[in-house]
Amino acid sequence: MAALLLGAACVLPAAAHAAAGPEPLAEEPIPAVTTLPQNWPASWLLVHDLNFASILDGKLAIVDTHDTVQPLKGLVRASQFASSQISPANHEIYTAETFYTRLTRGERTDAITIWDMATLQPKGEIVLPGAKRQLSVTYRNIFQLINHDSWALVANFTPAQSVTVVDLAGRKLLGEIDLPGCSHIYPTGERGFTSFCQDGSLISIQLDAAGKVQSSKTLPHVQDIDRQPHFQIPAMIGKVAWFVSYHGQIKGFDLSGPVAAPLPKLASVGTAEGGAPEWRPGGWQVIASDGKNLLYVLMSPNGKEGSHKDGGTEVWVVDPVAGKRLSRIALGGVFSSIAMTHEAQPRLVAASADGLIDIFDPATGQKIHSLGRTTAANPTLITPVP
Amino acid sequence: MPIFDSWTEKAARRVAQGVSRRGTLARLGAAITGAAIIPALPVSRAVAAPHGAGEARPPIPSALAHDPGNRASCDYWRYCAIDGFLCSCCGGSVSTCPPGTEMSPITWIGTCTNPGDGRAYVISYNDCCGTTSCGHCLCNRNEGDRPQVRPQSNNDYNWCLGTQSSVYNCSTAVIIGTAGEK
Repeated sequence: MAALLLGAACVLPAAAHAAAGPEPLAEEPIPAVTTLPQNWPASWLLVHDLNFASILDGKLAIVDTHDTVQPLKGLVRASQFASSQISPANHEIYTAETFYTRLTRGERTDAITIWDMATLQPKGEIVLPGAKRQLSVTYRNIFQLINHDSWALVANFTPAQSVTVVDLAGRKLLGEIDLPGCSHIYPTGERGFTSFCQDGSLISIQLDAAGKVQSSKTLPHVQDIDRQPHFQIPAMIGKVAWFVSYHGQIKGFDLSGPVAAPLPKLASVGTAEGGAPEWRPGGWQVIASDGKNLLYVLMSPNGKEGSHKDGGTEVWVVDPVAGKRLSRIALGGVFSSIAMTHEAQPRLVAASADGLIDIFDPATGQKIHSLGRTTAANPTLITPVP
Repeated sequence: MPIFDSWTEKAARRVAQGVSRRGTLARLGAAITGAAIIPALPVSRAVAAPHGAGEARPPIPSALAHDPGNRASCDYWRYCAIDGFLCSCCGGSVSTCPPGTEMSPITWIGTCTNPGDGRAYVISYNDCCGTTSCGHCLCNRNEGDRPQVRPQSNNDYNWCLGTQSSVYNCSTAVIIGTAGEK
């Protein structure tokens, strides 16, 4: 109330000078809330902000990579080690989150919230029972959409491992699949997924129309976890998931059929002088693709045991089918996650763990511009608009 | 899928003895800290402070000459396999949780050598849970970390499991014995 009175008092002297100046500024309506287009441009990103300083208050930043003045277009809540997905076809964003009735204590509720892409308002939720949702630093493949974006799969970890199957459109649970010893979810085939297992195998599971297991198949020895462990976030080219190992080996898995099919030919990021002790992939989200034939790998010159999440200073461009490295892009700093926009001329996005986001032209390797630290405190996962 | 039953049991058992944690939040912080060892990157050095790894603060020494080092520093000998906010900077100590939190019964274990007496000690890195992120003295050592497919050697999981709240606050480094000698 005091502010209102003060505000009124300010009007009077201003009015006394009004006659000599230009036309008064137009009145502005209250309330007023900005909305976003229903179809987001391909230059936009979802940037997952784990928000280390208050993980309870994680969030998703909607970022326009073309706009250096106001790159932040809005926020969506992503609480307590949340996971997120986006479906342009449904015009929806999904967050899988964890809440307590008294913020940090009380009854735990895990839920998927469905957000409208134009208003960023919640339009529905599905409660996940059992207080078992996997809580970890942000990974793309612990919450996935399948069945033409109508179902979601949620990874659980108590530490017993399982996958909850959710009908997003029907706002209901379909079931739970025990998956002991296996982790992460890579959509596979018509209506299924693949997980990697701790004995180095993978398992591919197809679901029936009710969300129950229809078939499953295990392939042994697809990953050497001791010597060539994969970074767990792959780059997709079509239905092929390309993984890079801690040592720079590149391996493709064709996920188009009911069972994941490892491609027989391995590729490599190659080597280079100047490493101390050597160049290796480094960061959190370290591999991206142009969606056609090229992979982009974030590389650290300080590669050694234990360096794999320390971030990288260059991006190496690799044609995995031809088995050739085409170029190296110097980023001018240490970045922890990279992604490529799905624009006609894709742009390379590099984010540092403390929020710096720079945009590069992957064709020339030149920096186009910086968005500064204007959108997210701690970007973990970058999701370009599909 | 009964063929997986034995895996689960073994995995759960190993996990309960535990190695992992939500370490990558520290690791991502380490992307910043790591920058400090790359001389050509002063910008990244400059931003180390906001996440605790490089924050300027007085040292927290032990009262014992044969337990040397600064308990507010990631370099302190007990932190050889730690990953998270150091409880010494959060209202607790190297071996106790801050008031208002609950110590996780599930922990992971490291073996660290004390330069003060040359002995190897078994260190239990119990998490403190139930209060919001401490936000100070983020610290990470990453040797031996493997993907989440091997939970017992992955530090990206939040290990506030088995506590009333899964909300992570900080990590302790408790001596639970000496290693390799009787």
